[in-house]
Amino acid sequence: MTSNWITTRAWLLMLPLLIVMIAIIGWPLVDTVRLSFTDAKLVGTEGNFVGFDNYVKMLSGSNFQRTLITTTLFAVLSVGAEMVIGVLAALLLNQQFYGRSILRALMILPWALPTVVNATLWRLIYNPEYGALNAALTQIGLLDAYRSWLGEPGTALTALIVADCWKNFPLVALIALAALQAVPRDITAASMVDGAGAWARFRFVIMPYLAGPLMVALVLRTIEAFKVFDLIWVMTRGGPANSTRTLSILVYQEAFSFQRAGSGASLALIVTLLVTVLAVAYAALIRKSAGAT
Amino acid sequence: MSALELIDIRKRYGTVETLKGIDLSLASGEFLVLLGSSGCGKSTLLNIIAGLAEATEGDVRIGDRSVTGVHPKDRDIAMVFQSYALYPNMSVARNIGFGLEMRKVPAAERAEAVQKTAKILQIENLLERKPSELSGGQRQRVAIGRALVRDPQIFLFDEPLSNLDAKLRMEMRTELKRLHLMLGTTIVYVTHDQIEAMTLATRIAVMRDGQIEQLATPDEIYNRPATRYVASFVGSPPMNMLEATVADGIAHIDGSLSSLALPDDIKEKAGQARDVVIGIRPESLSLAATGDMAFGIDAMVEVVELTGPELVVTSTIGNQRLTASLPPKSKVTAGTAQRFAIDAGALHIFDKATGKRL
Repeated sequence: MTSNWITTRAWLLMLPLLIVMIAIIGWPLVDTVRLSFTDAKLVGTEGNFVGFDNYVKMLSGSNFQRTLITTTLFAVLSVGAEMVIGVLAALLLNQQFYGRSILRALMILPWALPTVVNATLWRLIYNPEYGALNAALTQIGLLDAYRSWLGEPGTALTALIVADCWKNFPLVALIALAALQAVPRDITAASMVDGAGAWARFRFVIMPYLAGPLMVALVLRTIEAFKVFDLIWVMTRGGPANSTRTLSILVYQEAFSFQRAGSGASLALIVTLLVTVLAVAYAALIRKSAGAT
Repeated sequence: MSALELIDIRKRYGTVETLKGIDLSLASGEFLVLLGSSGCGKSTLLNIIAGLAEATEGDVRIGDRSVTGVHPKDRDIAMVFQSYALYPNMSVARNIGFGLEMRKVPAAERAEAVQKTAKILQIENLLERKPSELSGGQRQRVAIGRALVRDPQIFLFDEPLSNLDAKLRMEMRTELKRLHLMLGTTIVYVTHDQIEAMTLATRIAVMRDGQIEQLATPDEIYNRPATRYVASFVGSPPMNMLEATVADGIAHIDGSLSSLALPDDIKEKAGQARDVVIGIRPESLSLAATGDMAFGIDAMVEVVELTGPELVVTSTIGNQRLTASLPPKSKVTAGTAQRFAIDAGALHIFDKATGKRL
C-alpha cells in the first residue's frame, strides 16, 4: 500500500464528518462574519455593508467593557475556587476511610446534573422568601432578616459563583484524584522518611504529579467559565442592574432581545477571539509544563 | 545498648495475622538481612521499623528510646526503596539533599554534605541531572546517597537490587558491602534473594508466615539450618531432602531399597524408630566407584546439565530426587546407575513431622 493511498483513504474516511462539520459550524461561522459587517436586523432587512462600524461601536461602548470585567471576575473567581476546592476534595478522597467509594460517587452528582437543573436548585436555595440559605443563616444567628441574594447587585455575582463552583469543582476533583492515584506510594513514603511534613510533601512531591492534569482542568474550566450563559440566564438573566451580565448574555441581548443581528454577530466574534487567545496561551503553558517534567 | 530492638511485634489485618510476634535485637554496625519468600511479612516488618506502618502490638526501640507512634521523620532512620522512589522533578543533588533541606540544614552545609556523599558513591558528575536521565544503577546510587547523606542511626533497605539486571545487581551488592565496611552503619535489609542475604549479612533472619524461622550468621544458616524450610530456602541448587525411616541407626530411604547408616552423633538423636528427612547439599555429594564402601548412596542418573562452573546431575532414588553439583569434568552418563559418596559431616537430619533439626 502506498503512502499516497493511505492519505487518500484517511481523507475519504474523514469526509462525512468534515461535511457535517462544515454544514453546522463552518457555514454559520462564515455567515456570522458576513453579518458582523452589516447593520442587519434579526428579521426583515438583509442589512447594508457598514465596514468595521459594529466592531468599533461594540468595543468602545461602556456595556462591553463593563461586561468584560464581570465575565473576567466570574471566570477567575469561580475557576480559582473550583481548583482549590477540587484539589482539597481529591486529597481528602484519596485517604483511606470507611465509605470512601460512596463519597466519591456522590461527589460526581452536581457535575452530572444538567446546568439548568443546578441553576433552578440554587435559585430555590437563594429564594428571598422561602430559600434554604436565608433560613439556615437566620436560624444559626448569622443573619437578622431574609435577603434577596440574587436581587441585590452586591451579592448576585457571588451567589452565581458559588452555584457554578458547586457544579464544577467535582470535575477538577476527579481529574486531581486520578493524578493523585498515579503518585507512587514509595515516593510519598520516601518523603515522609526524608522529613517532609504535609505541606512540604504536597508542595514538592505531590504537586509535580498534579500540575499537568490540573493545567488541563484549568484550561477547560476557564474557557467554559468565559462562555458561561445557561447558569446565569436561568438564575438572574444578567441582572440585577446588569451586575451579572457576562459576554454571552450581552451577545444574546444584542442579537435576540434587541434584534441587532449585525452588532450581535460582531460581539460574538470578539468573544470567540478572546477565548481562542486564552486557549492558545494555555496550550503553550501545557506544552511548557509537560516539557518540564 | 542495641541499635534496634523489636519486642513481640504483631500485625493483624482484620482476622489475618501477618506478623506473629517478632523479637529481635540488633547491635550497632550489624547488617541484618530479613530473608523470605513473598508474603512472609518481611516488608511489613521493615515498614513497621520505618514507621510507615503501625504494629498492632509490640514495641520498636531505636537506640535507647521507644519509637512506637513516632513519625518516620523523627525516628532517625533512612530508607532505600525497591523502586528507588526518587523525586522525578528534582535534580540528583536536590534529591540527595532533600532530607537535609526538610530538616532546615543551611544551604552551604547541605551542598557540602551532598558533594561528600556523591563522592563516596562516585556520582559527582550526575548531580545536575534529573532521575529520568539516569540508568537503573545510577538511580540506585542516588537512592542510597539520599539515605547516606543524613547519617541516620539505622538504614533500611527494601529489596533495593531487585529492579536491576543480574550483572548490575552483583556490582551493587559488592558496592553495598564496601559501603557497610567503610562506614560501619547499622543496616536492616529485606530481600528474597538468598545470595544477597548470604553475601551481605552479618546475620540473617529467615522469615516464614510472619515468624522468624531462624536468626543466625550466614555460615550457621547454611551449615546448620534450624529447620527443613531454612535448609531448602538457602542454597542453589537447593538442598536434597530425602524422606526416610530410621530403624536401629539405619535410615531406609522411602520408596527405595537404599539405606544409609547414620553417623553416631545423629544416630543418637534420631532414636530408635521415627520418620525423618535427610538433607544433603548438592555440593556434599561426589562420585564414587560402584561397590565403593565409602559412606554413600546409589542412584539412577536422569539428567546431566553443565552450567559452566559445575555439572549438575539429577538422579532418582526410588521415587525421590537427588541433585549433585560436581566438578565440570566429572564423568557421568544419563541413564546409568551411579554411586555418590556423601560428606558425612554435611548430613542434616530433620524430624519429618515438625520439620525441626534433630
